[in-house]
Amino acid sequence: MNGAIPPAIAFREVSRSFGGRAVLNNVSFQVAPGEAFCLLGRSGMGKSVTLKLTIGLIQPDAGAICVESDNVVGMDEDGLSKVRSRIGFLFQNAALFDSFSLHDNLAVPLKRLRKQTPDAEIETIVQKNLEDVGLGKEGRKMPAELSGGMRKRAGLARALMLDPSILLVDEPVSGLDRVTASEIDDLLLRVRKRDNTTMLIVTHDTREARRVGDRVGVLDNGNLIAVGGIDELAENPSALVRTLVSEAQ
Amino acid sequence: MRRYLDFIGNVGLFALRAARRALVPPFEFQMILRQIEAAGWKSLPLVLSSGFALGLVLAFHTRTTLVQFGAESEMPAVQSLAFFNEIGPLLAGLLMAGRVGAGIGAELANMRATEQIDAIEVLSIDSFKMLVIPRIIACSIALPVLTVIMDVVGLAGGYLAERATSDLSVQLYISRAFHDVSWAAFVPPTLKTAIFGAVIGLISSYLGYTTDEGAEGVGRAATNSVVLSSLAIILIDVVLVKAIFFLFPETAI
Repeated sequence: MNGAIPPAIAFREVSRSFGGRAVLNNVSFQVAPGEAFCLLGRSGMGKSVTLKLTIGLIQPDAGAICVESDNVVGMDEDGLSKVRSRIGFLFQNAALFDSFSLHDNLAVPLKRLRKQTPDAEIETIVQKNLEDVGLGKEGRKMPAELSGGMRKRAGLARALMLDPSILLVDEPVSGLDRVTASEIDDLLLRVRKRDNTTMLIVTHDTREARRVGDRVGVLDNGNLIAVGGIDELAENPSALVRTLVSEAQ
Repeated sequence: MRRYLDFIGNVGLFALRAARRALVPPFEFQMILRQIEAAGWKSLPLVLSSGFALGLVLAFHTRTTLVQFGAESEMPAVQSLAFFNEIGPLLAGLLMAGRVGAGIGAELANMRATEQIDAIEVLSIDSFKMLVIPRIIACSIALPVLTVIMDVVGLAGGYLAERATSDLSVQLYISRAFHDVSWAAFVPPTLKTAIFGAVIGLISSYLGYTTDEGAEGVGRAATNSVVLSSLAIILIDVVLVKAIFFLFPETAI
């Protein structure tokens, strides 16, 4: 043992196909604890699949995926439960439960996974998390009554309910205007600064990647074609990478 | 043909999975109550209005025929036997397949398309136990109750039709309606609707929960839930009627 801190997330030669089409092809990368790593790429290039592989919603055809040293490939449900309890997931459209109020959406993780938590404490935590994302007065509203930006903020508040050490974020600003997108980015930056949360962010918005990410990986046709800082990637031999990065400037 | 066999096989496996998981805690009592409210309580206006209207229509038709044979005094008995044996259970089942089956198929397919089911799994909650099993149980509890209600309002509709053409009192109508009805003619046909309910919940949940067609799949799941649930309960009814005749021969006379 050399005492080195293991990566928060590590993909080792991961491949995944759907219907004979390789979505990920021998992809390897690591995210250090506390780092924000952005995966950039065009639509349908396997970015969201990468997130779902990380949390064990999908299993890879080959390779290993480690979350804080636990390999989630082939892991049983109990093992996955333990891994998932350390991860928050902000879905692309927030994936709020339609039939629950905003308040109940946030209370679900605590009521289900921390059953010993008293109701009064749950109320306090839910209210605090709603206030953190600027939705303190909206708890009684149903998801259908919220705007796109509010839904994203609510999704982020729910993802943070269990104080995760890792946050997976799927297209946090897609479909939002520039101002609202900037507010979401501010929230992500604040969470990271406050909790030192490791983030794996999937986006096709290069401005966001520049602003929030420490490092960026570019996925194209199932291959991770470049990894590095945005400025580093500006010098990359691949025209696609340079085009993506130039959009961020 | 192979597609249909695949479907039947997959629904069978889905049912086995549901039966196995239903016996393992945690038991989702709150979700079951929520679904009973959605499937049962909210179906009540539909069942009341349909049952009453059908009771009226059936009485109009049967009275004309019975009068020809001088047997109009048997009208309450015909009405009650028709409703208890077949019309109540089957009509309540078809109404539930239409209203609740479509709702379950569309709701679960929408949850799949909008990643709500993934969100449940991410929280380490068994989405199958939380979403599918309560719906199946709720349908199989709610449908027998709705059937009894449909039987009662069907008889009420029959009485109103009878009252329009004769001076028959309520007491005499009820007395004649129940005179020839044994428990065997009432209880097994009513209880068979628990199986109808389970089948509606099962097929609709299967179609909604397993869809992977995004937003397009929502409409398809809703439509297929209605069509296949309705077809399934009609076919299963044939088997169950024969089984009831076999177990309670007096009901076949």
